Amino acid sequence: MTSQTPVDALSVRGLTVTIQQESQHLRVVDGISFNLRSGEVLALVGESGCGKTKTAEAIMGLVPRDSGVVQATSIRIGDTELAVMPEAAMRQIRGREISMIFQEPLTALDPVFSIGSQMSSVFRRHRKQSRTQARQSSLEMLASVGFPDTARVMRSYPHELSGGMRQRVMIGMAMACKPRVIIADEPTTALDVTTQAQVLARLTDLGRKTGTSILLITHDLGIVAQYCDRALVMSKGKIVEEAEVKQLFTRPAHPYTRSLLAAAAGIND
Amino acid sequence: MSNGTPELLSVRNLVVAYETSGHVKSRLTAVQDVSLDIAPAGIFALVGESGSGKTSLARAILQLIPSASGQVIFCGKSLPEMNKTQLREARRDIQAIFQDPLSSLSPRRTILQTLTEPLDHFRIGTGKERIDIAAGALETVGLDNSMMQRFPHELSGGQRQRAALARALVSKPKLIVADEPVSSLDASIQARVVELILNLRDKQGIAFLFVSHDLSVVRQLADTVAVMYLGRLVETAPARELFSNPAHPYTRSLLRAVPIADPLHPAPVVLDGEPPSALTPPTGCVFHMRCPDRIERCSSVEPGQVNISGKEGRQENHRVRCHLWNS
Repeated sequence: MTSQTPVDALSVRGLTVTIQQESQHLRVVDGISFNLRSGEVLALVGESGCGKTKTAEAIMGLVPRDSGVVQATSIRIGDTELAVMPEAAMRQIRGREISMIFQEPLTALDPVFSIGSQMSSVFRRHRKQSRTQARQSSLEMLASVGFPDTARVMRSYPHELSGGMRQRVMIGMAMACKPRVIIADEPTTALDVTTQAQVLARLTDLGRKTGTSILLITHDLGIVAQYCDRALVMSKGKIVEEAEVKQLFTRPAHPYTRSLLAAAAGIND
Repeated sequence: MSNGTPELLSVRNLVVAYETSGHVKSRLTAVQDVSLDIAPAGIFALVGESGSGKTSLARAILQLIPSASGQVIFCGKSLPEMNKTQLREARRDIQAIFQDPLSSLSPRRTILQTLTEPLDHFRIGTGKERIDIAAGALETVGLDNSMMQRFPHELSGGQRQRAALARALVSKPKLIVADEPVSSLDASIQARVVELILNLRDKQGIAFLFVSHDLSVVRQLADTVAVMYLGRLVETAPARELFSNPAHPYTRSLLRAVPIADPLHPAPVVLDGEPPSALTPPTGCVFHMRCPDRIERCSSVEPGQVNISGKEGRQENHRVRCHLWNS
């Protein structure tokens, strides 16, 4: 292998998700293919209902069997093929090789356990650490996502933290096993603008430091311009444009991308 | 504060406080010493992050919650001093829409029934005329007449917010208090509701108090913007000037945190830390712990509001609460 070709962290080929809605089959994701390069932040951008979230769920193996059918030629993380993997094996991959951050962190945090106990369990389960080691790792991870008083956060329960703090805890938990890939689905849509800046700075900094690749799902072109290296533009289940971020904004090729940019320019000015 | 023109709404030194429940009773001051003026046909935006007290201020102006002290003068009359009957009458002129339009639409009434209810209540027009007024309001907000016989659950989110706006319009108000009216809507539908509000102001002369955490929406429609932080209005200015030449360090931080859809634009600047709790507000300026420009005085003395018109080229009616501008 030549060192010039960067290894892809995630490679998706021919991914289709079909859901059943009233007697109709709807292709909400329609045969998409893309690569997430090692260490990059890749935006998946589009309006609500375009299939962004279903794409993420399909890659994670999280589309419930009774709600939709996932078909793919290939979904690879490094050399591991996920498309044909049974659920039991997939459980070992999730969290260790690929993690997901959701829009609303409360859906992913258990209200009855302290942050410390939930974080430690990730280190104990996936990294087979002892209780003491796991506590130490959790404290370090909380410090790396910007908490000054880590011991206090460890003792807190999810409802005692603000939305931005909870989302930073989620980033810490997603990063716990230094996964190759993190999929972040609208991670700051529910947050205020100053909190959004905090969370996205932490996420992208950590990704760059640990070499984790990030697929950042968003509807906000400001986030694409400021935090991402490349972008996939999605509309009606298809990827209509793929480009370096600078190129996307200076020379958008697809009419749909141009209409999105025009709408964003109206807001910015 | 006024410069000749009679104000539609004047708020002076308003304080809203809650007693917290639990073993130890304590006092949470949600709104502290707020003064503002809204001119007829003006669009006044109140921006701030969650927990800053925006909604408490809006609700206190509407007399939905009591204020601890201060004045709310609407059309020359003091709203807090009114009795129930007078207040009801005043509500013809001051209406409200909320983030969740379903909170102002009854699930068991058709849109027509909801729209004619205020007219029945205020005894405006005959039965036939009431239906005409309702139809007119629906047309104004861009909803088809066929919507009249529908129930709220049969409408989309954008249609519901339009219906709620139509309900607010039928009594021909002078002021509409709109609390995060577009936050739960998709971007393209947001844009249409914003356009509608601008139209109502231009064509019918309705003034708006527009409460929002979304700076990009506010930039599109406001004449005047007030920035709220921990219950205080830290800066109030004409919209154009607030966005182009902000004076308060918090306003600057807020604007610099917005990611701009242009890769060549400087990256957002992170404001560290979290807002303090309103239960235990810090001494001095409430922003001093996070402020990049703080001076010694900031941690001990709370700054009062100063008018900085004329200073460093600022226009009339630009006010801040900041020691940096006090010297």
